[in-house]
Amino acid sequence: MGSLTPDFRFGNFVGSIVWLVFVILALVTLLILPIIFFTLFYIPLPVVDGEVLTPYLFFSMMVDPSRTLPIVQFFIHTDLFRAAIFPGFGFAALIAAATIFVERKLLAKMQLRVGPLYAGKVEGIFQLLADGLKLLTKEIIVPSGADRPIFWLAPIMYVSTAAAVVALIPVASGWVVADVDVGLIAAFAILAFFPLIALLFSWASNSKFPFIGGLRALHQMIAFEIPFFLSALPVVIMSSSLNLSDIARSQNIFWNIFILPINAFVFFISSLAELERIPFDLPEAESEIVAGWLTETTGMMYGLIQLGSYLKLYALAGLFVVLFLGGWSGPQIFPPELIPGAHDSNLPLLQMIALDGLYNPVTVNGIFWFLIKIIIVILLMLIVRGINPRIRIDILLHTGWYKLIVLTFINLFVVLMLIYGGVIGPGGLISAR
Amino acid sequence: MSTLDDKINEINRLAIQITKDNDDDRLMNLSIGPQHPGSGHFRIVIKVDGDYIVYADPDIGYVHRGEEKMSEHRNFIQNIPHLERPVIHDSTNIIYSYSLAIEELIGINPPRRGQFVRAIAAELDRLVYTTYWLAIYGIFLGHSTMFMWPTGDRELIIDLLERMTGHRVTHAFSVPGGVRNDIPYNFKEKCLTQINYFEKRLKEYEDIFYNNPLLRQRTEGVGIMNKEDAIKLGVTGSVLRASGVPYDIRKVEPYDVYDEIDFKVQYMKSCDTFARAYVPYLDMKESCHIIRQLLDKMPDEGSVREKIVGNVKAQPGETYRRVESGRGALGYYIISDGSTKPYRLKISTGSFRNILALPFLLVGSKLGDMPAIYWALNYWPIEADR
Amino acid sequence: MENKDNSFGQLIDTSKDLDNKITSNIIKSAIQNFNQKIQLVYEKPNRSKIFVNNESLVEVALFLRNTYGLDHVESMSGTDFPAENEIEINYHLGSYINQDLHPYILNLATRVDRENAKSNSLINIFPSVEYFERETYEMLGVYFVGHPRNEPFLLPEDWADLPPLRKDFKLKGR
Repeated sequence: MGSLTPDFRFGNFVGSIVWLVFVILALVTLLILPIIFFTLFYIPLPVVDGEVLTPYLFFSMMVDPSRTLPIVQFFIHTDLFRAAIFPGFGFAALIAAATIFVERKLLAKMQLRVGPLYAGKVEGIFQLLADGLKLLTKEIIVPSGADRPIFWLAPIMYVSTAAAVVALIPVASGWVVADVDVGLIAAFAILAFFPLIALLFSWASNSKFPFIGGLRALHQMIAFEIPFFLSALPVVIMSSSLNLSDIARSQNIFWNIFILPINAFVFFISSLAELERIPFDLPEAESEIVAGWLTETTGMMYGLIQLGSYLKLYALAGLFVVLFLGGWSGPQIFPPELIPGAHDSNLPLLQMIALDGLYNPVTVNGIFWFLIKIIIVILLMLIVRGINPRIRIDILLHTGWYKLIVLTFINLFVVLMLIYGGVIGPGGLISAR
Repeated sequence: MSTLDDKINEINRLAIQITKDNDDDRLMNLSIGPQHPGSGHFRIVIKVDGDYIVYADPDIGYVHRGEEKMSEHRNFIQNIPHLERPVIHDSTNIIYSYSLAIEELIGINPPRRGQFVRAIAAELDRLVYTTYWLAIYGIFLGHSTMFMWPTGDRELIIDLLERMTGHRVTHAFSVPGGVRNDIPYNFKEKCLTQINYFEKRLKEYEDIFYNNPLLRQRTEGVGIMNKEDAIKLGVTGSVLRASGVPYDIRKVEPYDVYDEIDFKVQYMKSCDTFARAYVPYLDMKESCHIIRQLLDKMPDEGSVREKIVGNVKAQPGETYRRVESGRGALGYYIISDGSTKPYRLKISTGSFRNILALPFLLVGSKLGDMPAIYWALNYWPIEADR
Repeated sequence: MENKDNSFGQLIDTSKDLDNKITSNIIKSAIQNFNQKIQLVYEKPNRSKIFVNNESLVEVALFLRNTYGLDHVESMSGTDFPAENEIEINYHLGSYINQDLHPYILNLATRVDRENAKSNSLINIFPSVEYFERETYEMLGVYFVGHPRNEPFLLPEDWADLPPLRKDFKLKGR
């Protein structure tokens, strides 16, 4: 009990808790309940379960277990929930946070260290939270002579652009924020914004090392953008669609990686380059140009850019899974009902525990397999960092322009041969349709 | 005369011209250091044309402490702890040649067991220094695992040295007349265990670092300094040996018991950055070999130190003694006027001699090669500044 | 030359029966070539010191390099002797090319006037002397004629005191 002060009294402790409860109750009755009611009265409410939702109905539904699930079901199908929480930003940010933690622990194990250990008692699981709080409380220093609007805007733009890519990734059948027909092109178009942001930010921060870093980012992106696109081209030919959900659905017989192993490899390497991760972290090479284009970032600006880059990591890993690993497809391992017989039992509490009506075995199965695949891809991306040094810029450009582009064409011709030979593709021997 | 002379003249001409007029918009001035993750405690002024370095000038002296002036005001024994400050990781070696020089000036010889213990401490310190150097080389090239592994394994050797000398890094162990204290009980077994383990780890370093194709791409054929240039520039230690000159003070001018030890001078003929990065690694292997022999041949009984009075007077005269440190020849030129203090003490360090090659190697290479070339020079900024 | 004989090196017993023939050959031939300009100060195993006039420093160095392959400078230093109003400059020459001379170091010494300290630079003969001469310039105030950069090196840019390794630069509290 080292943390207790010497003049600790149990009575005072209980008294303070009672006082806290009283204050919370007073606040709820005097402020929060009226606010909820005002909101619910003045906002047109949707129709749930065949009747218009009124505030009274809302509160009674929250009390009655059997009527809670329809409300939840209604809310998880709203666009706001999709964009903000489940397949969208919140889910991606959670995976990004988990990635950061796993990366630190995994690298630590590879390097015979312990990694984060103290925050959160158990293996330092709250280290990220502590780091976030630290970054929030740090002063943001704007260099003199900086272009202030762009300098402030760039980190926010970075995160929002990363979130825009995340919105295109289908997690399970029908579970995607933006189900657009040109999904793949949209993803590439949005990804092409990142070097622009890096260059703008490096220019705006009015410093030499960021400027070199920004230019390097630009060179790197342009060199790797083309093999990046080209490696996805045979996938589009095979599934004859640009819609990411359709691409994922078209692989329910075989995964594209079995026909396109070279392209999958090129896509993986190019996405490492897009992510500016070791061995392609030239824009942030700390022994040459301090921190590259991030040199002048401070406090939460740095935090936002880090968050954005890990969101991007999730998005690119998701894209890899959708394009080459069959998206969410996998053997059905979840039972039709969480608790067998709950639907027919007419016991409201049991139905609620079994999430009756909310639980969809196909969707949950899809999310499960998608998660497994994306975790494997992310781990592969992380392990590369532990065993490789940084590459040099001329070798990098040479790799991008000469080697990877040629490699993509090899597999493209293989696919075209298979299609014209009538093996795969529409009406082929092994085809989804 | 040759390309080297042309290059040196060009560098010096640019240095004068650049300080005069600075209006060339094509070139970008970069000041790498002294507070920069890729420089250490010194600064390189670099001019880049695009990605190519057209001018480089090492601006050393950020951590200059005036060791030579300080030595003139302290007596021979008092000088020991502050003279090892320039290289705290290699402190036995930097004091080793000082001890040899003072022994010559006051005319004593350390006992045989003392010579062995001193040599063991020097070799262990060479391992400590070189693992640290290798760790920094790893992180300079963005290889974080190579930073952590040697840093962790270095602790084992530091523990050995702590058992031996009582201090972790700055030992002040070697003194004129031998070593400060005898080695502890069952040190021999402990040392052998650690050295055996360390040799196993050395193989793993080679697998993860030196055999990595990306590292080879970055270092092979980069920063070529051929044999003639290396001799002209007067570089020393691993940099010289990487250019194909098998010159090791332990072999060419054996001090203490090194003439009884059987070891090879490790050198490479490829003259590039990879060779400069690989020769210290080979040296570490050789050091393990040497330590084993030293432990084997060391007499079990005997004194380790020839006692001298604290305020000892040296004979008037001068001496130049050198040892092979982790960074090359480390020489002391000491002039004594017969008093208890040196009249003049000059430290000639390997870092100071090797950094002369830096502008020659950097000019014409790419900015991305800068960390690889710079740290492969086996350079320790504080030792160069003294 | 006569009044410079009381340099400290002279007080060591200079036994002439050397084991290394080559080193004594170097000294002998150098003295023969530059008869009055070179003086042997001491000769020990693997170490010897010769003293040359400042005017003939460059030609002696060139002779030593071209004839015997003393191709680099191991160390170079200056020492202040206020009593004689002179500064002694020592070049410690070593050889990488000549295998027999590997353990040998020749101390090539010269002296310059303390008030108007000016010496000829050896940078065109030994490129390795560049930083040593710069250091000597700022630590002892010896100007090296022919050296391209006689400018601050280790000390701060705004150093305005005496050159610190001169004996009349006193440390505080000592």
